Amino acid sequence: MFSAARDVTERKKTEDALLALKNDLENRVHQRTAELEVANKELEAFSYSVSHDLRAPLRAIDGFSRKVVVGYGDKLDDEGRRQLQVVRDNAQRMGNLIDDLLAFSRMGRREIALQPLDMNAMVRGVADELRAAESQRAIEFAFLPLPRAWGDASMVRQVWVNLLANAVKFSRQRPVAHIEIGGSRESGEVRYWVKDDGAGFDMQYADKLFGVFQRLHRQDEFEGTGVGLAIAQRILHRHNGRIWGEGKPDAGATFRFALPQPSAEKQLSGGPE
Amino acid sequence: MNAVDQELQILLVEDNPDDAELTMDALRASGLVNKAQWVKDGAEALDVLFGNGAAAECHRLRLILLDLRLPRVDGVEVLRAVRADERTRRLPVVVLTSSREESDVVRTYDLGVNSYLVKPVESEEFMKVVGELGLYWMLLNKLPGETR
Repeated sequence: MFSAARDVTERKKTEDALLALKNDLENRVHQRTAELEVANKELEAFSYSVSHDLRAPLRAIDGFSRKVVVGYGDKLDDEGRRQLQVVRDNAQRMGNLIDDLLAFSRMGRREIALQPLDMNAMVRGVADELRAAESQRAIEFAFLPLPRAWGDASMVRQVWVNLLANAVKFSRQRPVAHIEIGGSRESGEVRYWVKDDGAGFDMQYADKLFGVFQRLHRQDEFEGTGVGLAIAQRILHRHNGRIWGEGKPDAGATFRFALPQPSAEKQLSGGPE
Repeated sequence: MNAVDQELQILLVEDNPDDAELTMDALRASGLVNKAQWVKDGAEALDVLFGNGAAAECHRLRLILLDLRLPRVDGVEVLRAVRADERTRRLPVVVLTSSREESDVVRTYDLGVNSYLVKPVESEEFMKVVGELGLYWMLLNKLPGETR
C-alpha cells in the first residue's frame, strides 16, 4: 500500500519531468524555426543584392573595355589589345561565377513540387538539346530503359542536364564520344547512371567532385565554374537522394544517382512505365 | 521616316551612369539615340511623364526602358504609376535590369509590364539586346491606333 503510493508519486514526478522536457523541446523548435526563417530571409536579400549589385560593375568593366577597343583600337598595339581582352574574358568569367553561385543558392530555397517523372522521355529531351548545341561533334548516346521516378520535374531535369553536359564536355577529345544512360531498381531506391568515355578523373580527388567551385581539370583543358555537380548534389539531397561518381584518368567517368523508390500508389497514379 | 523622327519617343530610366552610357551607345548604333532621353531615377521619370501639366511628355512616348532598383522612386513604383494613369496605361514598358529574381519578374508582370529583360554582362550581347529591343518596339510594334 505504502510502496504503491510511493510508486504513484514517482511516476507523477517522471511524467512532470517528461512534460517539462517536451515543452522545452517544443519551445526550442519554435525558436530555432523562427531563427531559420530570419536567416533564410537574410540569405534571400543577400542573393538579391549579389545578383544585382555585382553584375553592374562587371558590365561596366566589359562594356568600357570594349569601348576602348572600338574607339581607340588603332592607337593600341597587339599586346595592348590582348591585355584588354584578358580584362574582358575575366569580367565574363566572373559573371558566370556569380550566375552559377546564384543558381546554386536558388536550388536550396526553391519549393519542391513532387510528381511522377518519366525519366526516359526526360533524358532523351535533354540529350537532344545537348546534341543540337554540339552539332559539329559525333556523340553516340545509348539509352537503356529507366525506371519511373518521383520528384520535382524541373529540378530533376537539371540533374540530367548537368550530368549529360559534363559527359559531353569531358568526352570532346574523342573522335566519337560514347555516352550510356541506364537505371535500375535496387534496395528501395531508383538508381540512374551516366557513363562516358571521356577524360575521367583521379579517384584520389573524388571527395572534391561535389564541392562548390571545385574543379578537377584546369581551365585551359575544360572550361567551367565547378558548380554543376554541386547543384546536382543539392537537388538530390533535397529529394532525400544521393549522388556519387567514379572515374579513371583518360578512361571515362560514371556518375550515379539514386532517389527514393516511389510508393506503389504513386506508381499507379503515375501511369504506365 | 517622317517629321516626328527627332522627337522624344524613348524614356530611359536608369540610375547607373555607366549602364546608361552603354544603353545610349546601343541605341545610337541602332539610330535611335536622338529619340531617347535619359533620366536618373523614378522621381525624375514621373516628372518627365506627368510633371508640368501641358508640357507632360507622356503622349509623345512610344517606349519606356525601366531599371528596377532606383533611388527615390523605384522602378516598380514608376510602372504602377504609368499603368494607373489613363494617358499611359497602354504605353509599352520594358524592364531592363540586372535582377534575375523570379519575384521581380512576377511582380512586374502582375503590374502589366510588356517585357522583362536581364542586362547581359557581356558587352556585345548587351549591345545586341538593347539595339534589337529598340528596333522592335520602335519599328515593328504597333501601338493602339496605329493599325488603321
